[in-house]
Amino acid sequence: MIKVATYAVLIAAMVAFGFGVYRVAGAMKSDAGHAVRPSSTTGVALPYTMYVTQSGALYQFKGGQFKQITGDNGWTEPSASPDGTKLVVVSKHLNYSDLYLLSPDGQVKAQLTHHEAASIEGNHWGFLPRFSADGTQVFYSYDNTDPYGSSYRADLAIFERPASQGGGAVQWTDPNQYTGGDTYPVPLREGGLLYTRYLIDDKSQVHSQIRLVPERGAAGLALTAPAGDCEQPALSPDQTSIAMICRHGSTQSTELVLASIDTGTGVIGHESVLVTGQMAAAPAFSPDGKTIAFLAPVQQGGPFQLWTVPAVASASPAAARPITQNVALDSGSAPVWIR
Amino acid sequence: MLAGLLGLTAYFLPLFQSSATPLQTSGGGLLNPISGPTQPFTVLLLGSDDDTKFAQDQYNTQSMILVRVDPANKQATMLSIPRDLWVPIAGQGYTGKIDTAYQKGGVDSAIATVQNNFHVHIDDYVWIGLKGLVKLIDSMGGVNIVVTNPVMDGFYPNDLDGSNPYGYYRVALLPGPVHLDGVHALQYVRSRHGDLRGDFARSERQQQLLMAMKAQASRLSISDLPDLARAMNGEVKTSISLDRMRALFSVLGQYNGSAIHRILLGPPYTSEGWADGQSVVFPDWDRILPAVQQSFP
Repeated sequence: MIKVATYAVLIAAMVAFGFGVYRVAGAMKSDAGHAVRPSSTTGVALPYTMYVTQSGALYQFKGGQFKQITGDNGWTEPSASPDGTKLVVVSKHLNYSDLYLLSPDGQVKAQLTHHEAASIEGNHWGFLPRFSADGTQVFYSYDNTDPYGSSYRADLAIFERPASQGGGAVQWTDPNQYTGGDTYPVPLREGGLLYTRYLIDDKSQVHSQIRLVPERGAAGLALTAPAGDCEQPALSPDQTSIAMICRHGSTQSTELVLASIDTGTGVIGHESVLVTGQMAAAPAFSPDGKTIAFLAPVQQGGPFQLWTVPAVASASPAAARPITQNVALDSGSAPVWIR
Repeated sequence: MLAGLLGLTAYFLPLFQSSATPLQTSGGGLLNPISGPTQPFTVLLLGSDDDTKFAQDQYNTQSMILVRVDPANKQATMLSIPRDLWVPIAGQGYTGKIDTAYQKGGVDSAIATVQNNFHVHIDDYVWIGLKGLVKLIDSMGGVNIVVTNPVMDGFYPNDLDGSNPYGYYRVALLPGPVHLDGVHALQYVRSRHGDLRGDFARSERQQQLLMAMKAQASRLSISDLPDLARAMNGEVKTSISLDRMRALFSVLGQYNGSAIHRILLGPPYTSEGWADGQSVVFPDWDRILPAVQQSFP
C-alpha cells in the first residue's frame, strides 16, 4: 500500500514538474504583439488632458489614468476645437470613413460627412480633420473623384467644410497625381494652411514635403526640402515653433525635428533633432508649448507608446521619456493635448 | 529529468510536427545543403496569390525576391525581380512572364528560370501564399513600417476570405510610422492601383516589409518557434530546414539596415512594352547581369 502511494506521489510530482517546464517554456516567449487596453493600465501623470486612440476606440488620458470614452468601432484621428469643447473624430469603415463631432466625454453630437455609397466605387475617405483657428471650419484629407475620369486614381486633397451639419466642402490643394495625395492639414491663425505633399523624383523615389498655402487654391511655399522627407507638422500654440517627423530617405526610422517658423513668410529656422533612431510619429505640443508628445515603440519592433520630450532646441534625444510601457496606441492618431 | 523532457516535448510539439511535414522541393530533399551559417548563401523568396482563382499549387508568383546572405561579413542583398519580366521559362519551351514559371513547372522551374537568366546559384527557396504571410506576421506580433506616402487602392482584391475571388474593396493606408497586423501588411505590399510607380513601388514595399520582419524576428525567442511553426504549417513551403531557419533568423538579427543592400530592377535595367498582346517588362541584360554578378558572385 505504501509502495503504491509512493509511486502515486512520484508520478504526480513528475506530472507537476513536466507541466511546470511546459509553462516555463511558454513564459519565455517574447512579448511580441502583447499589449493591453489603456484603461487597464496607467502611465506617467502629465498636466492637462490628452486624447489617444487604440484599436478603434478613443481614450482620455488624465492624471496618469486612461478612460475609454467610445466603443471599439473605428474611431481614429481625433482633434480638438480651440476652446476644447468639441472633438472632430474620424469613424473608419470598410471602403469609407466619415467625420463626426463628439463631446469631450465621447458622446456623438453630429455627423459632418456622409461618404458611404451603395457602390464600392462611390465611397469616399475623409481623414486627419483639424479645426480652423476660430473653430467654425474643419480641414481634412478627402479622395475627390478624379477630374480626368480615372477610376484608379484615389489621391487625397485638402478640403475645408463647416464644423457643423450642412454646408458644402471646398478644395484647397491640388495633389501630385498617383502619389496618394495631400495629408496632415494644420490650419493657421492668419487663415492659411500647412500640409504635407508627396512627390516622386526621376529615380522613382517618394518624398514628402511640408508646404504652406496662404489661401485656397494658391500655389504655396515649400517649407522643407524633398530630401528631408518631412511630414506630420504640428504647431506650437503661439505658432512660433514647428515639430515634424522627417525620415531623410530611410524607411526604417524617423526623426522628431523641432524648428522655429514664421508662418507669415514660410521660413523655417535651424532644425534641431529631438529624437533620432526610432520610429517617432505624430507629434503634438502641450497647451503651454513647453513639451511635445509623440508616439514611438519603446523597443525595436514593439507597439507604439506615448512619449514626451521638452520642446526646446537644446533638448538631447536622451531627454525623451516614455509615458506608457505596454499599450499599443494608434500611431496614425496624434495625441490631442488640451487644457 | 524525464518529466522535464516530456514537458519540453509537449511545448515544442508543433515544431516537430512542422518538421515532419513537407519542407522540401517538389523533387524532394534539400536543393544544396550549406555547411552552416558562416558560408554565403542565396535564397529565392516566392510570393503567390493562392486564392480560389487558381488551381491548387498552380499559382503565379507575384513576388520574386533573391536574397544573398553573407554571415561572415554581416552583409545581405535583396534583388526584386519584376513579376512581368519577359524571359525564357526553364523547361517549358516558351518565353513568357517570369511569374508564370512556378505555375507551369513548379518551384523547380521557377528556380531554374531565375538561375538561367540571372546567372546565379540558388541554395534554397521559400514560397508563401497570402494567408501564410498574414499568419506569419500575426504570429510575430505584427510589424512596424514607415509608410512613405498614402497607399490608396480603390480595387484591392477581396480574395482572402471572400466567396467571390474576383471581388474587391477600398484600401487606404496613411503615411508615417505604423504598426501593421498581417492583413494590413499584406495590403501594404500588394496594393498597386493608386501608385504612379505600379509594380515597382510594390517591389519596394515588399523589400521594406522583409526588413521590418527581420527587425521583428530579432525580438523573438526560441520559445516563439512553436507558435510560428503552427502558423506556417501548410501555408509555407521551403527547402530550408528549421534548424537552418533558426540560424538564419539569428544571423539576420545581427544585421542593421545599412548592411542590407537593396536592388530594384526599374529603368534603366528594364523597360515596359508589349509582347504577345500583354503588358510586359523587357530586361536589359547588359545592365542587369554586371549588377547581379557584383552582388551575387
